[in-house]
Amino acid sequence: MKIKLLIIYGMLVCFTFAREAVANNSVTEEVKKTVDEVVRIVSDKEMKKPGAKQERRAALRNAIGSLFDYEAMTKRAMGANWKKLSTSQKSELTGLFMTLLENSYANKIESYNNEKVVYVREDLDKEYAEVKTKIITTKHDEYSVDYRLMNEKGKWRVYDVVIEGISLVSNYRSQFGQIMNDKGYDELISKLQAKNKEIKKR
Amino acid sequence: MKKASLETIVGIFVLIGLVCLAYLSINLGKMEIFGGDHYQVYADFDSVSGLKTGAFVEVAGVQVGKVSRIILDPRNGDKARVYMQIQGGTKLQDDVIASVRTSGIIGDKFIQLKPGGSDKLIADGGRIRDTEASVNLEELISKYIHGQVK
Repeated sequence: MKIKLLIIYGMLVCFTFAREAVANNSVTEEVKKTVDEVVRIVSDKEMKKPGAKQERRAALRNAIGSLFDYEAMTKRAMGANWKKLSTSQKSELTGLFMTLLENSYANKIESYNNEKVVYVREDLDKEYAEVKTKIITTKHDEYSVDYRLMNEKGKWRVYDVVIEGISLVSNYRSQFGQIMNDKGYDELISKLQAKNKEIKKR
Repeated sequence: MKKASLETIVGIFVLIGLVCLAYLSINLGKMEIFGGDHYQVYADFDSVSGLKTGAFVEVAGVQVGKVSRIILDPRNGDKARVYMQIQGGTKLQDDVIASVRTSGIIGDKFIQLKPGGSDKLIADGGRIRDTEASVNLEELISKYIHGQVK
């Protein structure tokens, strides 16, 4: 009887640890799912055709949008100025920022050419996580891309991307802050709209 | 009586001289015995190459503290953990970003803090979560050049 109890107890302990081992990599799994999907989209021969640009961009937007929390990114880029905005201003700004990021990075993502993505490590700190990855080109150049995620109501979403040690949020926080302090919200909006138009033409 | 009072006066001057010397040493040595209240925060960086203890911690170019200690992260030994003393009046939000930056192009490294918008503040002993490591200029240049020669 005692041995049976011991075995059951031992199994329970093992299952607890097994669950933790899986849980520790679950954030990386979330990131991997999206990265794999993005790679699939840009590698797809049908999608590479010039005529498929709309479809390709829509597919990318879907894949990335499920993992990236654009509102959180906009909020962090605005810093203390976010609270000063009305609800409609917040959604206007988030929409423009999302378009800016999509258009800025779309070309780079679409120029994917058999690079390898290596998942280096994951750091967890309560409801925050950082997934460190490396992109290795066919010529053996390495670029570090780190994803910073926050767990909200059980879903892990990216709130910042750090490329080669430079944070996207930090970059835009400086710029948004300057524009907000010098000229204000309307100027920021018109600058973003102008930039979006310019990028679309490229 | 006269000798005693003369000696007393000399003694007082020597005392004043010593106090002035002590004040000067403390100020020049940047010790802050009477410096008001500070609190401590820490942050982990992938690299703090070039950063020294005593380096400034700045917000918007204004010094709000200094680096008190730099060690290897005890948990995994491949990140740098920087402890900072921050002036009591300076509030740091939960989403503040700490970056290792250079004064000018080739000057001393310091920690630049970019304030966030979160309502949560970092308490004494708390951690700054979002950081940017030292930018290694030589590496960037080599990557840029490397990347161009396709």
